[in-house]
Amino acid sequence: MFVVNSPFDAGLCGRREVPLELQTVILNLLEFWGERGCLVQQPYDMEVGAGTMHPETFLRVLGPEPYRVAYVQPSRRPADARFGENPFRLGKHLQLQVILKPSPEEVQELYLESLKALGIDPTMHDVRFEEDNWESPTLGAWGVGWQVLLDGMEITQFTYFQQAGGLDLKPISAEITYGLERIAMFLQRKTSIYDVEWVAGVPYGAVRHRDEVELSRYAFHVADVAMLRRHFEDWEREGFRCLEEEDPLVIPALEAALKMSHLFNLLEARGAVSTTERVALIARVRKLAVATAKAYLAQRERAGFPLLAAGAA
Amino acid sequence: MSGVFLFELLCEEIPANALPGARRQLASRVRDKLAAEGVEPARLDVFSTSRRLSLWVEGLPKATPERVEEVLGPPVSVAYAPDGSLTRAGEGFARAQGVALEALEVVAGPKGKVVAAKKLIPGRALPDLLSEILLQVVPSLHFPKTMRWGEGNFTFVRPVHRVVALWGQGQLAEIVRLSLFGVPSGSATLGHRVVHPGEVDLFGVANLEEYLRRLATAGVVLDPQARRETLRRRAAALAAEVGCTVRSDPTLEEEHVELVEHPGLVRGELDRTWLALPEEVVITTLRHHQKCLVLEKGGALAPYFLAVCDRPDDPEGHVRRGNEWVAEARLADAHFFFQEDLKVPLTAMAEKLTTVAFHAKLGSYAEKASRIEQLAVTMAEALGVSELEGFLRTAARLAKADLGSHMVGEFPELQGVMGGIYAQKGGYPREVFQAIAEQYLPAGQEGPVPTSVTGAILGAADRLDTLAALFSLGEVPSGSKDPFALRRHALSVVRIGGEFPLNLPLADAVRWAAQPFGGSGAPELASFLRERERFFLEWKGLPAPVADAVLAARWGLPADELALGQALARLWQEPVFVQLATAFKRVRNRVSKEGEGEWAPERLGEEAERRLAQEVQRVERQLAELVAEKAWEQALALLASLAEPLDRFFTEVLVMCPDAALRQARLGLLAKVQGLFLQLADVSRLQQAN
Repeated sequence: MFVVNSPFDAGLCGRREVPLELQTVILNLLEFWGERGCLVQQPYDMEVGAGTMHPETFLRVLGPEPYRVAYVQPSRRPADARFGENPFRLGKHLQLQVILKPSPEEVQELYLESLKALGIDPTMHDVRFEEDNWESPTLGAWGVGWQVLLDGMEITQFTYFQQAGGLDLKPISAEITYGLERIAMFLQRKTSIYDVEWVAGVPYGAVRHRDEVELSRYAFHVADVAMLRRHFEDWEREGFRCLEEEDPLVIPALEAALKMSHLFNLLEARGAVSTTERVALIARVRKLAVATAKAYLAQRERAGFPLLAAGAA
Repeated sequence: MSGVFLFELLCEEIPANALPGARRQLASRVRDKLAAEGVEPARLDVFSTSRRLSLWVEGLPKATPERVEEVLGPPVSVAYAPDGSLTRAGEGFARAQGVALEALEVVAGPKGKVVAAKKLIPGRALPDLLSEILLQVVPSLHFPKTMRWGEGNFTFVRPVHRVVALWGQGQLAEIVRLSLFGVPSGSATLGHRVVHPGEVDLFGVANLEEYLRRLATAGVVLDPQARRETLRRRAAALAAEVGCTVRSDPTLEEEHVELVEHPGLVRGELDRTWLALPEEVVITTLRHHQKCLVLEKGGALAPYFLAVCDRPDDPEGHVRRGNEWVAEARLADAHFFFQEDLKVPLTAMAEKLTTVAFHAKLGSYAEKASRIEQLAVTMAEALGVSELEGFLRTAARLAKADLGSHMVGEFPELQGVMGGIYAQKGGYPREVFQAIAEQYLPAGQEGPVPTSVTGAILGAADRLDTLAALFSLGEVPSGSKDPFALRRHALSVVRIGGEFPLNLPLADAVRWAAQPFGGSGAPELASFLRERERFFLEWKGLPAPVADAVLAARWGLPADELALGQALARLWQEPVFVQLATAFKRVRNRVSKEGEGEWAPERLGEEAERRLAQEVQRVERQLAELVAEKAWEQALALLASLAEPLDRFFTEVLVMCPDAALRQARLGLLAKVQGLFLQLADVSRLQQAN
């Protein structure tokens, strides 16, 4: 566990608390969950809207095999981009995603312990679990859970997955998603994301501000709508083609669905999607995601659900 | 009768909005099931916090009462041989019922005499019964949304961790064995996560006060009413410390009660610069993200807020400082959006509406706006306020513009409010910005009606257009299915008509609103609005038969119908109206059966009918004037003056006489009477209730 002893006056410093750098938040959380049986994975190497879309979540939650995994996922929401001007919003932010399958009995206690890895002593704060259910129409997925509020700040999304790829899940996975920038902002008491210390002396803005400006301009003004539409269609065909193989190609099909999802997000940010078309485009992504989920499950079944025998990952 | 029973279910955090319903269901179902076994407890209470549901019952018997059950057997002719001895069938019945042969009796069955066995059913031990009841009731509690967890074998509102079920005489001394959601019952629950994270054993608890006390010691205030009172007291005290009062928000205050196990509040302070934002923006930002109450001083917003927290204290000030930081960050975010919005004129926002669909089959919001414009102008003409036409056109065109703003994108609950603010900042006249701001008032039963004429017209026109549009597609609400909240929209229209009030017949408004859709659905919409008007009249306190009598005669000017109904409600139980109701019932029956005849008073010869004809003509002359003056009580009294001549008419005159011409004239006289009454109320409907 890394503890940084920099004395932030304005920070969360209680008697025992030291606000952490963004980087330490990441390292501590991964170490914490790694010690609790999670495989520490890497971000998916594609544009995705959330950590849920990573195959380590979207596919692993399907079927009977147990799994525990933690990873950081840079997550892109082009429509949330604000040209680097809004103190609170990003077009690309970092999620730290944890999947515990099946959800353990003491999952809330585990989560509260993880806050200690952030230098927060929950007994000195107000921690509340307020209802907040989650749904992803593009993934045919939904879950029930809470947003976790720490002294009024939403720091985590906590979800019991009920369905993914249109399939009822059994066992049920718990998904814990930490919004890393907001947690760091809160710990360091910064009023702008861009002032967050990535490491001492290097603010978030120095690392990421220019990306936000450029990604915003691209998403809102520059992206070539005709090209995006064309690629949306291309990837749709490609994805289904992968599934039509005699031994279906699950990962390439999922990647095609992720491409479609991101292209759709860009089209929407660009203002090129009407309300009715929106529904239709989402349905097309979902169709491929659902087909992929089915193909994955069939593939695992043919393999005899190998992780069942292996016990927890 | 000193049996006590405690049941507590400890879960992960239950959604606040699910708790009141869960408490009601738990109490009523357990009570009903006990009653079905003949058990009436002296006391049955349910409580809840964000993590637990609990039930306390006392004054229970040890067992349900013994009772005698009579089981009917075969007919006497089958059970007994002619010599009076039991047949094999008779003996078999007695054996099967476990009673002695000589204990069989002969009773009257539905199809003649049969043998019967009277059996003594012993009482059931209460712990067994309670266990059985809870096993039925708890898994079938209805929640808005349920879930599975872990291995996925159970479904409930949230994962269940502990089940406490204890029974005793005088004090809780025995665990009632049951298993819910895979969790076996025990005697211990858990305390508050922070204040007392360990077990709390409830064994030996002697009364409700002791149970509540043991939990309170563990940081849990179980009774929602106790939390409500604490929160209210604490809010007032925290406000008073800084010379302020709490801006009332009953919905949010109720939610706070359900959000916690321990009712805590902290006061945060805001940087005063945020008070430069419109009040609605500050309040909504704090409410939406942090569920905070705000404080006010002299009616104006003060730079303080109250945040609920699930703990009694704030030992290191983190809770206050954290909430203050979040409030600052959220307000900075809102400020950003507000400033961005101010860069775009409302007209430019309105242009974006061409791409925002109101409904897949009904075009965009831009099209809706132009329909609202036309309807509002027509309504203004009919109301004799054509001078408002220009304002209404502008307001209607800009009404939905704020749907394209950042602020409404972030806070949908600010729709209309933001449009009004932006219109005011954009230099539009009061008639315009006030109409935009008030267009969503009232929200069904909640909130006030608009205060401006343009707001009332625009608000009614918008809702009427929505209703007409969806009715034209056959989207008529039925039962609990009302996905577009059309009942609420319709009630809003009726309330504007009744409370603003707008002196515009709703039947006309429906016709105009349905015009762009070829008039389809208009009759259904008219009767839908009339039913909402019935709801409105009864909501305003009219007795159901009075509302019914008025609406059977007229509808669509809710203010008039309400005033008329109130006058009728004062009179309807007086003897003269009771008499009138009976007489008018005869009038209606006769006319509906035999037709309206013709008005020919000159043919009427008998004293009683000539007298009635004279009275009718007198009433007709005076009634028109009283109705025009909306002098409802006098108008009703005038109708009441017909009671006596009507009674005399029915006593002395035979309507269905052999002379056809005379018969028609007598029917014509009654039809005239009917016409007069139906300007006000179908008083025959008051009869049954009297």
